[in-house]
Amino acid sequence: MTPAQEVDYILNDCFFAVGQAVGTQKSLDFDVIPWWRARYRAFFLHAMSAKGNSWLRDRHRVTAVGRFLGQRALHHAGDSPSIDLRTAALASNDVETGCRMNAEREGVSVPTSGRA
Amino acid sequence: MSTHTGSSFQTDVTESLATSTDTFNTLSAVEIQELERQVEYIVDDCFFTVGQVVGMRTTVDYDAVMWWRDHYREKFLAAMMAFGNRWMQDRSNVTSVAIMLAERAVRYSEGKPSIDADAARRAAADVERHCELHARRAARRQGRDTSDAAVPRIAGYWCTYP
Repeated sequence: MTPAQEVDYILNDCFFAVGQAVGTQKSLDFDVIPWWRARYRAFFLHAMSAKGNSWLRDRHRVTAVGRFLGQRALHHAGDSPSIDLRTAALASNDVETGCRMNAEREGVSVPTSGRA
Repeated sequence: MSTHTGSSFQTDVTESLATSTDTFNTLSAVEIQELERQVEYIVDDCFFTVGQVVGMRTTVDYDAVMWWRDHYREKFLAAMMAFGNRWMQDRSNVTSVAIMLAERAVRYSEGKPSIDADAARRAAADVERHCELHARRAARRQGRDTSDAAVPRIAGYWCTYP
């Protein structure tokens, strides 16, 4: 399977993980889905194509980050019944900041746009 | 529109489908490409909902993710090619079915460390049986034709089509 084919399975896996952390107390606005998909598809393809990352090796760690994304989205949503685009962007910023800090600690170079 | 926040398994009857099953024959390559793009968002939406309902009770094997994706992407795309993209109208009904899928998968994975491909397949079979029965009951209630050709036009066509 090429990275371009596999990335769709990986994104499904990650949406499941985000949903796990969000739980059933809040819903997700549909327009968040294309935004998150476009963003993380690009990051994941970069990781797989340029750096040769393996999903099966990294899955446990990346889905944990997906659950963290869900937790941050819940936090930013506050009393709102749903997670909207603004909330999703704030959550992504939190997660990507954390990922960049981790990568720098581990001595891994990352693009400035961050990666999960 | 938003994903699930309730707990009902009930699917409503989908009525007044605007397009016919001949749509596929009239779609251009560009239109098919657009539906292939849109179906990815719909599959993502369903994975999110299944994850919401499974919660932290268990996790899912990658094999199960792959099986669900292959299975439902094909069905959703076939439904969209036949009836057009009705996701925004049908989203709450279909995500209600995803709740059932999640609950059945959790049940079939009892005693296992995670939802494996076998549990995913068995859950999908249960859900599709439910959708078919619901569609036939709904069709009978409305006095409509309950032949195989008519049923997907009434309810559950997302997960039972073709």
